[in-house]
Amino acid sequence: MTKLKIHIYILILCCSFNPAVLASNFTEEENFVTSFADSAISILSDDSLSDVERTSSFTELVMSSIDLNLISKFVLSKAWKDASDEQKEEYLIAFKDYFVSSYANKLDQYAGEKVDVVGSQEAGKYVIVESNIIREGTDTLKINLKWRLLNKDNQIKIIDLNIEGISLVIAQREEFQSFLANNDYNLDKLIEKIVSVSD
Amino acid sequence: MNLRILLVLIIGSTLAFQGCASKGNELNSSLSQQEISTVNDPFEKVNRVVFSFNIIFDKIILRPIAVTYKAVVPGFVRNRITYSLNNLSMPITAVNNLLQGELRKAGVSTTRFIINSTVGLLGFFDPASSMGLVTETEDFGQTLSVWGVSSGPYVVLPFLGPSNPRDFAGLLSTSLLDPMYQIGGGSAPGSLRTYRLGTGAVDFRSQNVEILDDLQNNSIDYYAAVRSFYSQGRESQAASNLEIDSSEQENDIFDDFEIDESYVGPDIEITYD
Repeated sequence: MTKLKIHIYILILCCSFNPAVLASNFTEEENFVTSFADSAISILSDDSLSDVERTSSFTELVMSSIDLNLISKFVLSKAWKDASDEQKEEYLIAFKDYFVSSYANKLDQYAGEKVDVVGSQEAGKYVIVESNIIREGTDTLKINLKWRLLNKDNQIKIIDLNIEGISLVIAQREEFQSFLANNDYNLDKLIEKIVSVSD
Repeated sequence: MNLRILLVLIIGSTLAFQGCASKGNELNSSLSQQEISTVNDPFEKVNRVVFSFNIIFDKIILRPIAVTYKAVVPGFVRNRITYSLNNLSMPITAVNNLLQGELRKAGVSTTRFIINSTVGLLGFFDPASSMGLVTETEDFGQTLSVWGVSSGPYVVLPFLGPSNPRDFAGLLSTSLLDPMYQIGGGSAPGSLRTYRLGTGAVDFRSQNVEILDDLQNNSIDYYAAVRSFYSQGRESQAASNLEIDSSEQENDIFDDFEIDESYVGPDIEITYD
């Protein structure tokens, strides 16, 4: 989800694969994804907004639709449990800035793409909604997106976005774990790095 | 050529043997739990060196070419090139469909190739898709995974980038098995093979200029990010070939994660600038 790493899959995959046909059981979740995608696309393609306005409305939309607190903890994995309260607070602030700054830059290229929801299924405590976007300028090159949602207290939040088989949250987690492994598992160093990258 | 055949046979048979020995009857269940979460990278130190070399190569040669290509060639033409590359990969896809025992898919790949090469004007257009002839490209690395060969450790190859022993063996075998390689004039300059290799690299790089710049600038650990993308992507392709739902692999990881309510954290103001 960070950096909207949407097209990176091309580096690896170069082709789209056919999603399995899913039964649509979770209408509420499916509608959530459709309305999120529609709002995102309409913000991104609204020419009457200035760049700053567009970025801020988009950020607001994303922030109200995801469970950033949960994602923050998940990507830190074991290190979260070992952290002091002070480190937790510093980290949450740093990660939020990082999250906002890393995807806010490159929004323009996603304008004009339509998201089609094709089905949904239960996955443990989550619901996965599957959708496709069509590459601009073609009618056949599809990108497969799977949204992992959590319905908690009747509030649906996005937990992860999987693009062509690549989970962005898992990728982020592996990145953080790799950094920690190469830096004596020093959480302060990771926080410092996160702050320096988002500046 | 002989040396190459030998290499493929050695690597291929070693992997196949390893695969059979370790997988046995539990092929499906073990594959569904493969290393999507735990990173298999014992050569990380060497890999990081090669990775840095590749970044320099990219910075000096590949990226500038891709940027120029994108600036000079109109989007319509670039999409035609993408389609033509996809079309040229259909014969080897059909071969791999057969090796995977997928007769119906082999039929689709072959028909796609015939229709798009003729009606689709040498593959620059894609009328086959509008006729419902849609298929994924397949390489020999994917075929090996269907045969039960595990990917092995993550490896970064000079110039070629992320790989693993299974995919590397697949890459070497592809040049032997690909009908387009055999009839396309081999590796001579100006041959179909050179077109695909050169244009393929530029096509692919040009589609990712901003994204990769962005990823490189914003990464906490660029090497680890690319490694995760590659490994996850290949594992999910392997899962889809075995008709395993790839999200089940992830479910295990997400299910392990207890929703921690004990620490709510500060209420953070977001600033937009």
